[in-house]
Amino acid sequence: MLKRILRSMAFVAVAAAATLTASAALAAKVAVITPYLAQPGTQFYVEAFQGVAGDKGWDVNVIDTQGDVAAVISRIEDMVTQNVDAIVINVDPAQVQAGLQVAADAGIPVFGMDAGADPLLVTNVTSNGYQMAAETSTYVADRIGGTGNVVMFIFDAFPPVQVRGVIARAVFGNYPDITILDQVTPDVSDGGIADSRAKMEAILAANPEPGSIAAVWAAWDQPALGALQAIADAGRSDEGIVITGIDANPQARDEIAKGGNFEASVAQDFHGIGAATADAVARVLDGETIKQRVIYVPTKLITVANAGE
Amino acid sequence: MPLLELSNVSKAYAGTPALRQVDLKIEAGEVHALMGENGAGKSTLIKILAGVVAPDSATIRMDDRLVSIDDAAKAHRLGFRFIHQELNVVPSLSVAENIVMGQRYPRRAGIFVDWKKLNSVAADALRRLGVTHIDPRVKMASLSTGDRMLAKISAALLSADGAPARLYVMDEPTAALTREESEQLFRVLNEIRAAGNSVLYVSHRIDEVMALCDRATVLRDGQSIDSGMLSEITHDDLVAMMTGRKVTETYPAQVAPPSDETAYEGHGLSVRKGEILGLAGLSGSGQTELLRRIFGRPASAWRRGIAYVPKERRSEGLVLTRPIFENITLPHLKTHSLGGAFLAPGRERGFATSMGDDVKLRATSTRQLVQQLSGGNQQKVVFAKALSGEPDLLLLDEPTRGVDVGAKYDIYSVIREMTAKGMAVILASSDLPELLGLCDRIAVMRNGSISIIVEAGLSEDALLNLCYGRATHSEAA
Amino acid sequence: MTILTLLRRFGTLIGFVVIVCYFWAQLPDTFMTARNWLNITQQLSMLIVVAAGMTIVMVMNDFDLSVGSMASLSGIVAAMLFSFGYPIWLAVGIALLVGLLGGLFNGVLVGLIGILPFVATLATLTMFSGAAFVVSGGKTISGRVIPEAFGNFARQGIEIGPLTVPNLTIVALAVVALVWVLLEQTTFGRRLYAIGGNLEAAHLSGVPVRRFKLIAFSLTGLSAALAGLLYASRVASANPTQGSGLMLNAIAAVFLGMTMSGQGEPRVLATVLGVLILGVLDNGLTQMAVDSYVRQILVGAIILIAVSFSSISKAKRS
Repeated sequence: MLKRILRSMAFVAVAAAATLTASAALAAKVAVITPYLAQPGTQFYVEAFQGVAGDKGWDVNVIDTQGDVAAVISRIEDMVTQNVDAIVINVDPAQVQAGLQVAADAGIPVFGMDAGADPLLVTNVTSNGYQMAAETSTYVADRIGGTGNVVMFIFDAFPPVQVRGVIARAVFGNYPDITILDQVTPDVSDGGIADSRAKMEAILAANPEPGSIAAVWAAWDQPALGALQAIADAGRSDEGIVITGIDANPQARDEIAKGGNFEASVAQDFHGIGAATADAVARVLDGETIKQRVIYVPTKLITVANAGE
Repeated sequence: MPLLELSNVSKAYAGTPALRQVDLKIEAGEVHALMGENGAGKSTLIKILAGVVAPDSATIRMDDRLVSIDDAAKAHRLGFRFIHQELNVVPSLSVAENIVMGQRYPRRAGIFVDWKKLNSVAADALRRLGVTHIDPRVKMASLSTGDRMLAKISAALLSADGAPARLYVMDEPTAALTREESEQLFRVLNEIRAAGNSVLYVSHRIDEVMALCDRATVLRDGQSIDSGMLSEITHDDLVAMMTGRKVTETYPAQVAPPSDETAYEGHGLSVRKGEILGLAGLSGSGQTELLRRIFGRPASAWRRGIAYVPKERRSEGLVLTRPIFENITLPHLKTHSLGGAFLAPGRERGFATSMGDDVKLRATSTRQLVQQLSGGNQQKVVFAKALSGEPDLLLLDEPTRGVDVGAKYDIYSVIREMTAKGMAVILASSDLPELLGLCDRIAVMRNGSISIIVEAGLSEDALLNLCYGRATHSEAA
Repeated sequence: MTILTLLRRFGTLIGFVVIVCYFWAQLPDTFMTARNWLNITQQLSMLIVVAAGMTIVMVMNDFDLSVGSMASLSGIVAAMLFSFGYPIWLAVGIALLVGLLGGLFNGVLVGLIGILPFVATLATLTMFSGAAFVVSGGKTISGRVIPEAFGNFARQGIEIGPLTVPNLTIVALAVVALVWVLLEQTTFGRRLYAIGGNLEAAHLSGVPVRRFKLIAFSLTGLSAALAGLLYASRVASANPTQGSGLMLNAIAAVFLGMTMSGQGEPRVLATVLGVLILGVLDNGLTQMAVDSYVRQILVGAIILIAVSFSSISKAKRS
């Protein structure tokens, strides 16, 4: 982060001195545009992407629109004006159709990096969200022996997270003795932990009987961490409530390694997504045609056994 | 030996001279008046004394030694104390706290405020002015305007850095005071004079200046005139010095007698067409409230032909940041528009120009912003606005407060002209000569209601007695 | 006129010209092109509409913090109605009505009940935002439920010679023209400025202050709803948080514009220039590949410089 700012400061200084000439005329220009750079996962794959790009000598411009999706369209338009060689987006392509169309008209290839499939994208590189949700929800169902009340934390506003909820509901629905006690959409404006904790505290208060909550399934790690805190705070850590998350961020890994209620999460290979996206860009720049609409990068279930890795 | 002597003071703003080689000499133990119409340069001169404005050139001597007034702190060290028209007091604090404010409060054990000591310090300061009726422990908010001013003056007696007060500069001190409060203030001025200190007394009220001050310096068009001893000249001489012309009459004569037809009746009074009904009373006796009740809901009042000139022209009468013509057409904007919806600025300006001429407004153009005008001209804009719909009834609340002599006469003339055309006027004023000089009848208010309505033609003393509720011969009227 | 007063009055305008010239020099091939400028106006259309509406209440010395969440709400309302099969005109009409009523509610809180605009609209900000989440169930509504014609609107334009002027640009220009007529050419606008200059004097001069507050806030809400629909059309979807960035930018644009008027009053054309400054910075710095976070620092600095110029020289005069 600091490095990025320093680099940009240096850039402004150079530009102000008007010494900026066509220094890298031959390097391929690639723009990475995302509204979600502040999120940890996004930072990982952007860094991995930059790593590969650096090896290839590309001139990469990373643009963060800070949650503003329409601004992604605007920045795509600006990049088309600049006639870059390729554009990488990290946003639901359905919402930036206007920009994708402009790029398509100009013949500039656009790649999805954990974005979503779309005819206007060359390809989308992502983890298999269905598979991740299936891994944690079946883990939960197995651990509670196919019976009990489950609390779900979901977030349907973001499509990649929304599909996880769909799968988990299907899995739990397949067990006649599993009841979905509540489906909570936490307020994520502060990161998601605090509000998830508050919501979980309310649910615990409403279900005081030991054993009345068998598991908490969260569509990503932050609500799982919030639920964990709420359960510990209520003195109900001993009830054996099983908690799972998805993404396996460092904090989640720490908790899983302790062997407490937070038992499992799934690690996306963010570096793998970033590197695979860069590979896809390189292949297209070299003239290859990519047939796969989606390129899946493998994921990994994290439990106490491998959390420390 | 003069206490303070300013000579050859010049100051120009953006090339426009405000003061041209002005001289001002104040003797020790003197109450010295500073007079002049609005825009004559009084406020610039006061700002130079306060160290807020730097003169382009000036020679300043104090006790016959050359001094310079670099900033407000220096002015304070020299012993200058300023009591402004708008009193900046903190109403929610006690009188004592207001008096001692800006200095270290007396303490006990270094931490706790020694309230007893604080109150006695304040009481001492008040006593030095001969004021004993104010309890320093009560909230400032509970004091009348006059008492607040006395508290403010006694605060000026104390000083944070030990520099003794030498010269009090008072800007229109009696503008908001009742007669009794004014008299208390005059006693205080004598105390100051007796102690060998001086007062620079800024006022429009010529009678007051004649009665109270030793000498006057009159500013006109940025130049100064030394009046000499006031005891040796007449009221009219002083007016002539201010206006540069001989004003023979203070109040223009009635053009036509009022008709018998009633223009308005209600709220315990009635006023005939062409009549001026005065509202007298001690300040705060309910004059403003009565006018507001007669006015009612503003939007419908204007439509019914009732116009209102409020007491506070800057905060209630005018939109200072807008041009003159927009202020004048505001109450009846729709009649000057296209179809009631779209603006016709050309038409508005034409109308505003003719209204401005009617009230003898002096401005470069009706597009000039109201805030750039002098107080008297601002008040003329308020009048032009009020008269813009040819009202049947005009309500006036202190219409000449803070207005200079020339502009006052213009305003009185306009009132006379309009009443000659049949307009009825209700005029609330604390200036008794004004009421006596203009009104056909005067309603005296006490404690929120009208106590008596008398025909004009009584003496000022008689009217004052009525205001205080003392029995007089006119009880029978 | 001294240099200082010149700077005070026109400093922001001069700054805008300097910025444009700088980008022109740095990006000789791509910046000063008709296509890029049409892009910029299209990118700014939503902000222009919100800022123009914001100008209306700021003329009265009030302001409205709820415009961003109202924009989100109107987009969501329209998208939900699409998903129930409502025709486009009806869904759009209802969404605009929601904006008008939401604005009226703000007007009631501020004008009739007398709550400070900051507090009242901070509360409605969260209410409208919450309503957007409730109506949508927290989901992004996109894909097939959004009629193609609705999404296409933002992608199409009117051909004028070799250029295509985007529909969004045309809508924004139309809103600016309407607000300009309203504020500068009607008795309503004149009296609105009188309220802003001195509320008490305007009241005593017969201006129906309360009714005007209701109307002004309603119009601001309506314009916020329109901006939300433009946004929804541009992204062919609706998300319960998508308008949230508009509010601060709109207030910043009005403030930038206020530095250009003699009395520090909001003027809608000056507001548009304020929006253009923000948008040109975004466009030019993105093209120059300057980091987005540094861009934010620059935008803040420019607002401070513009406002400082007008305040410093004011302080010096008195």
